[in-house]
Amino acid sequence: MTLVMVVDDDQDLAEMLSIVLNGAGIDVDLVSRGDEVMDILRNNPPDLVLLDVMLPGIDGIEVCRLIRQESMVPIVMLSAKGESQDVVRGLEAGADDYMVKPFRHPSELIARIRTRLRRTNSDVTALLRIGDLSIDVTGHEVLRGETKIALTRLEFDLLVALAKEPGRVFTREALLGEVWGYRHSTDTRLVNVHVQRLRSKIEHDAEKPEIVMTVRGVGYKAGVTVGS
Amino acid sequence: MNRFTFSFRSSLAAKVIVSTVLLSFGVIWLAGSALYSQLSSGVKQVNLETSLAEARSSFFNAQYKFLLVQDKSVNAIKKEVNAVVTTATEIGVNQGRKEIILARLKDDLANQQKYAPNVFDVVSEGLSIDIVPKTLREVLRSADDVQYEYVSFEATSGIVRESLIIGRKIVIPKSGSYEMYLIYSLTNQRTTLDLIANALLFTGIILILLIGVITWLVVRQVVRPVREAARIAEQFTKGDFSQRLEIESSDEIGKLSLAFNEMAVSLESQISRLENLSRVQQRFVSDVSHELRTPLTTLRMASEVIYSQRTSFDPTIARSAELLSAQLDRFEQLLEDLLEVSRFDAQVAVLDPVDFDLIPLIERCISDVGTTGHDHPIQIILDPEVEHVVINADIRRVERIMRNLLSNALDHAGDKPVKVSIVETTSEVGIGVRDYGSGMDNASLTRVFDRFWRADPSRSRIRGGTGLGLSIALEDARLHNGELDAWGRPGDGAHFVLTLPRVAGEQISGRPLKVEPSDA
Repeated sequence: MTLVMVVDDDQDLAEMLSIVLNGAGIDVDLVSRGDEVMDILRNNPPDLVLLDVMLPGIDGIEVCRLIRQESMVPIVMLSAKGESQDVVRGLEAGADDYMVKPFRHPSELIARIRTRLRRTNSDVTALLRIGDLSIDVTGHEVLRGETKIALTRLEFDLLVALAKEPGRVFTREALLGEVWGYRHSTDTRLVNVHVQRLRSKIEHDAEKPEIVMTVRGVGYKAGVTVGS
Repeated sequence: MNRFTFSFRSSLAAKVIVSTVLLSFGVIWLAGSALYSQLSSGVKQVNLETSLAEARSSFFNAQYKFLLVQDKSVNAIKKEVNAVVTTATEIGVNQGRKEIILARLKDDLANQQKYAPNVFDVVSEGLSIDIVPKTLREVLRSADDVQYEYVSFEATSGIVRESLIIGRKIVIPKSGSYEMYLIYSLTNQRTTLDLIANALLFTGIILILLIGVITWLVVRQVVRPVREAARIAEQFTKGDFSQRLEIESSDEIGKLSLAFNEMAVSLESQISRLENLSRVQQRFVSDVSHELRTPLTTLRMASEVIYSQRTSFDPTIARSAELLSAQLDRFEQLLEDLLEVSRFDAQVAVLDPVDFDLIPLIERCISDVGTTGHDHPIQIILDPEVEHVVINADIRRVERIMRNLLSNALDHAGDKPVKVSIVETTSEVGIGVRDYGSGMDNASLTRVFDRFWRADPSRSRIRGGTGLGLSIALEDARLHNGELDAWGRPGDGAHFVLTLPRVAGEQISGRPLKVEPSDA
């Protein structure tokens, strides 16, 4: 059974969230303080973390940063603020996705969670090459030579999405659909921030990307494969 | 020249220095001229008196010598005349060159006939009797005293000579009456006067230069703090309030600096107070947002759980669940709009522009707005003149404007279609939303963008709009430096035109789409 850690200081909302998630067949671990997250995360690793921005103890963005230091678990931020800077800060801290409260429909939340938990890319070949990287899709591993590069699941999905169709230029909207499962969202900040994060991990020089290339005014594409 | 005009106009120091130098030039010119004329007339006077005294003695000497030889032979007289001429033209102590003209008077007819051959006319080399003015000669004939006049003549060598001519009538025995002229060259006097003029001119130039330098030094003292103040004021404009003027003295400049610094302190504190207020407001908005949204989220989810089960309820409870859900939608929208309005009021609304194609966005808005919450479908006709209109704007805000305009149009369209048209130019894009419903009168038009204003309170709550939609749409348009115009006529429907710059934030220079509809 899937386990989702819900980090929210509002007891009623947390309870309501667990009712909805339980109804969708998801187990819930409720945490009400930011500074308790890491202990529980270590003892009982969840499949996904649903994280509120405003928390007692440590705030959600800081918690996000702490989680990322030791875990690649998908993180979905719950933000009561629609302001750009909060969203971007959360994404930069390592969140994979975010939802602004109040959600239009609880089903939307469940859909997002399922997208993040879904084993994607089962349809593609087991081994992909992009730049000087080799991607083991089934083993969920990215290797540069013999060195393993640790990526979050979302970053991995993003890289695979680009690598499985080398040469194709993906618009940001297309990537939002492919990787985040959004049907029509206009918030392309998600893509920009995650491309930056991915580049900082896989590129030799993030300022001069060779693997995830920017196509000005359009979007992104995979770089040329080196060697064979 | 242009550079000079520029620096003259833009520099206080240059202005003061130039005007001071010009004025002192005038004063020095006047003083110098007066001094020169005094000096030159003095020099001339002294020169004249000396020359006259000497000439008198020469004339007396000649007269006396001629008297002594009146009984001698013509040859002896001629010898005496030569001696007199030699003595008279000897260079005196303080005189320059001296020349002589001796000419027998033409009107002494008696002597002329008597001593016709004994003519002792003498003219110094290069001169002639013609250089003596007629007036002087006439006066001399009838006078018994010394006469003089200043003349300037061209000598046979071609040089213009300025001279003083002193003359007297003289009688030479056995010959008749003669005019005797002594011609004093004024070269020495001229040299002296030139020397004086040059000295005056030189002094004047030096004085003007010195005055210029002194003015520059003095003006600099005044202008330097003023320049410094201007520089610091410029820094203020750029938002840096940390700079202060140095107070070096307790004079007017010092007082100015002090007042300036006090102004800076006051400005700084005012601005930081306003910034603080704005921060408080921003914080408040954000807190309210958080505090209200969390319970609303819980409410939403609870209502959704109940709503999804409504078929298993008693009809009244089922209907209540529907109403609860619908009103929560409305409440949420109202909260959203209120927060947006308060962000505009606090001026913390941020534009987040990207490049995108307007057409698919409008199509999406049409399909969303057209299908939600409407009992009877109203046709929305999209009538763009082009297939793609890529603009740089805040996509979220443009989408909100379009949704607001479209749902507003649908609210008032009755059963007639709504028409959307798009016109683009190189710098602007105009989007018109036209309905053919009840329309508006002029009084309504002036208030249509007011918050919570409803055209007809009795009938416009069908869709449960918040009453803030158009007002937010206007603010959204203006945030892009765009404009939102409304047209309406009772019975003819309404037309709302959104004009956006091609690139968010640039100025719009006109309205590519007129707000008066072409079909009205």
